[in-house]
Amino acid sequence: MPDFECRLKQYRQLKDLTQEQLAVQVGVRRETIMRLEKAQYNPSLKLAVDISRAVDAPIEDIFVFK
Amino acid sequence: MKKKCKKIIIFLGVVCVLLVAVSSWYTIVFNEARLILPMELSEYVFRVRDLPMIISCILLALYLLYCFGLLVWTVIANRCAGEASQYTRTINPKLGFLGLLGFAGFLGFLTYHVNKSVYPFACFMFFGFFGFFFEGKMSNTYMDERYRENKMKADVTANKIAMTIIFLAIIILGSGNFMGNLEYTLIALVIAVAVSIALDIFLGEYLLYRYDHGEEPDESEG
Repeated sequence: MPDFECRLKQYRQLKDLTQEQLAVQVGVRRETIMRLEKAQYNPSLKLAVDISRAVDAPIEDIFVFK
Repeated sequence: MKKKCKKIIIFLGVVCVLLVAVSSWYTIVFNEARLILPMELSEYVFRVRDLPMIISCILLALYLLYCFGLLVWTVIANRCAGEASQYTRTINPKLGFLGLLGFAGFLGFLTYHVNKSVYPFACFMFFGFFGFFFEGKMSNTYMDERYRENKMKADVTANKIAMTIIFLAIIILGSGNFMGNLEYTLIALVIAVAVSIALDIFLGEYLLYRYDHGEEPDESEG
């Protein structure tokens, strides 16, 4: 899995969303959001797009590949 | 299936078994146990007294055929329902204890010495039922993309391990001369294949659980 930094947590908190709320919005489990925030899971393009729309931020700002 | 329907099926089964029992009694008492005792079927000549036995056996065969068809239909219907669902099936982790049935495979050593029968060795594959323990723990889990990815990874790894064992067993036992005996070769091969299947079933569930729960991140919302 390529190394990347995930800034989802800060964007989620900016939108005042809990992990559970974000998970429901993008159709995944809360555990998946937790792993994403720890950069332990490389999401599909669709999930990345859904997340970027949910937190209202560009994909490249949320997932920063080194 | 409705309760009433189940009762009717059970009732029909009981009727069929009773019919076979009564016709067997009739045949033994009034028809020299024809069709019960071993006989040369090529020399068989029909008698009217054979009718009860023939009819009851046909009815029992039709009933068993119907039950088999019903079983296949139910399995297919359940599978289709499962594929349409977004959640994993709900099962009790205690079903994992069914894996203990795998120890029945050791009966093969007994039956082989008694009557050269080797099929009980195939029971080793029941060890795979230990996987129900982990499947039960993952009951009613929402199957999101991470779950599906982990499931695929677990299945591929399990299949790879099982296929490697079968491949090595065939390479090693392929000479047919294990311990200088062809029968021992067959036994070793049956055991290797049964254990591989068990491992495949078990590892598929165990690895999925590990991938899904391993290296738990900090659960705080933050």
